[in-house]
Amino acid sequence: MENRIKEIMSVVFETDLSMINESASPETIENWDSLKHMNLIAVLEEEFNITFSDDEILEMLSYKLIIKIMKEKMI
Amino acid sequence: MIYLRYSDILKKNLELRETVKGSEFRIAILSNITCHQINEIIEYSLRANGVNASVAQCNYNNIIQEVKKFSHFNAVIIFWEASSIIDGLYYRINLFNNSDIEELTDKTIKEINYVIDSLKNTPIVIFNKFSSRIFNHHFQNENYFDTFCNSLNDNLRKYISGNIKIIDPDNILSDISVKAAVDMRNFYSSKALYTVEFYKYYAEHITPILLSAVGKTKKALIFDCDNTLWKGILGEEGLHGIKMAASDKDGLPYHEVQNLALALSRKGVIIGLCSRNNSEDVEQVLSHHHDMILSDKYISIKKINWTDKATNLKDIADELNIGTDSIVYVDDSDFEINYIKSVLPEVTTLKVPENKYEYTSLIRRAFGYFYSSGETKEDYNKTEMYREESLRTKEKKRFLSIEEYLQSLDINLDVYINDCNIVQRMAQLTQKTNQFNLTTKRYTETEINSFLSYENNLLVAIDVKDKFGDSGITALSIINFSGSTAEIDTFLMSCRIIGRHIEFKFFDLIIEQIRRKGFSQIKASYFKTIKNQQVEYFYENMGLSLTGQTDESKHYLLETDKYITKSIDYIRIN
Repeated sequence: MENRIKEIMSVVFETDLSMINESASPETIENWDSLKHMNLIAVLEEEFNITFSDDEILEMLSYKLIIKIMKEKMI
Repeated sequence: MIYLRYSDILKKNLELRETVKGSEFRIAILSNITCHQINEIIEYSLRANGVNASVAQCNYNNIIQEVKKFSHFNAVIIFWEASSIIDGLYYRINLFNNSDIEELTDKTIKEINYVIDSLKNTPIVIFNKFSSRIFNHHFQNENYFDTFCNSLNDNLRKYISGNIKIIDPDNILSDISVKAAVDMRNFYSSKALYTVEFYKYYAEHITPILLSAVGKTKKALIFDCDNTLWKGILGEEGLHGIKMAASDKDGLPYHEVQNLALALSRKGVIIGLCSRNNSEDVEQVLSHHHDMILSDKYISIKKINWTDKATNLKDIADELNIGTDSIVYVDDSDFEINYIKSVLPEVTTLKVPENKYEYTSLIRRAFGYFYSSGETKEDYNKTEMYREESLRTKEKKRFLSIEEYLQSLDINLDVYINDCNIVQRMAQLTQKTNQFNLTTKRYTETEINSFLSYENNLLVAIDVKDKFGDSGITALSIINFSGSTAEIDTFLMSCRIIGRHIEFKFFDLIIEQIRRKGFSQIKASYFKTIKNQQVEYFYENMGLSLTGQTDESKHYLLETDKYITKSIDYIRIN
């Protein structure tokens, strides 16, 4: 799952896959703004067939937090 | 595009950004909601059609302030949401009094008129009708919000002509449901009202309008015949076996599709046929079948032969002097559809759905592809040149050989030798197969069983699979051995698997089996019927020597050690 999420993030943020590392966040990824964040959520929801709550969407603002919340949802 | 996933659209759009060049087609989106997710979807939709599109947006809720900044763009799309004309209007309006509403209506109409007027020289302006649908859940009476939207739409009516295209988003809302079209999470957090799903449908609707501005309109609708224009296989079931009558449950969808095609031909769309059939058979249907609505006079071009369909579609485009990207092609076969997609990706392909009752809505939806407007303000000469140039480069780059396509299919065969479990199917194949059948000998199950019980017969059947699925047991050969000679009594293939070079692999296999039995001479015959002309020269092509010939038959001989195997290495035998 981690690799798929990395790939998705690199496509959505139009950035090199190597940029999507453990510390990736809006601070390290230039394109990660609130609009692209909405795109990321849309892709994740479609790819993994899940729905995030509005609070989760606000919380998922780093690679680590995305993985954490995704893991909770996928159980 | 409506079937593509969002992630694939994003990914493909990035790829196309690198490959689609040529003059830039600039689109601006003016909106009073957040709708950035439409950008990549529209870019992708146009780039996939070879147009180097780029989408820009005005700042949030700055339609009036920024309209002049974008008026020189090739196209402007306006998302002016009634619900956000003032913040929270959709719930506040019911607390307004009449004069408040009148005042707001007048003010908004003035703004709309100003915006449209500012765009009078923009080649294409797409303006969404105002809709109250999303926020109105009770329909007993028209409420203030409905009335407000209706007044704005009444004003829009005077612009329905020229460069202003009025789109009704209610069509999409009712097509996919408000629930699928709207995401209230994003509306409350970011004023983003619509979902990606909505934008996919929206882009699908407006793409033909945008493409028409660069001369890329769809011009021709080309049909396969069997199970596409009528139900059944003409070569197998004959003139009276195929169905397309309104009075027949199975024929009705085809009857309706033919009527739709006729309506398109009245609108100036070129209707054509491209199918693997004997052309005389199809001519007979066109001139004699009384259920055939789409008779000869409505059909501008026909390619009815056994050549691959990509070549035929290219020929059709050449003869009509249109680009292959102007063609919409309808076929019931996954094989043909996928072949055309891989060789001529610019052709729009429509696959007849497995559920026949869904077929007519597919064709009704296709009406949108043939959008045409003579009133855009583009320089037509320039756009023609643009179109031709992109066509040339595209065709050079993309034309794959049929071999390359077949290689990609991963075709594999299961072989059944003297297998008593498939007697019924083997008998059925001899009875039903007409076209690719060298001798057309019909056998009952009892006869097949009796072949199996004698050692001097060999019955070989194959089951054909590829990455798209399993065609089942679809080819059969029966060989009799007597003295020092092997004779091919039957060699047939179902028309479902024609066109994939399977006959070559199958024949190699038969020869190998005969060799293994120690026979060095093979006799074979072709018996002419009205339906099997496509295999008239099959044995010549396979390298057999003709030893005798009448009007009705041809007889051949082959020395097995002289046989050159066709070695089709991309078809695997399991």
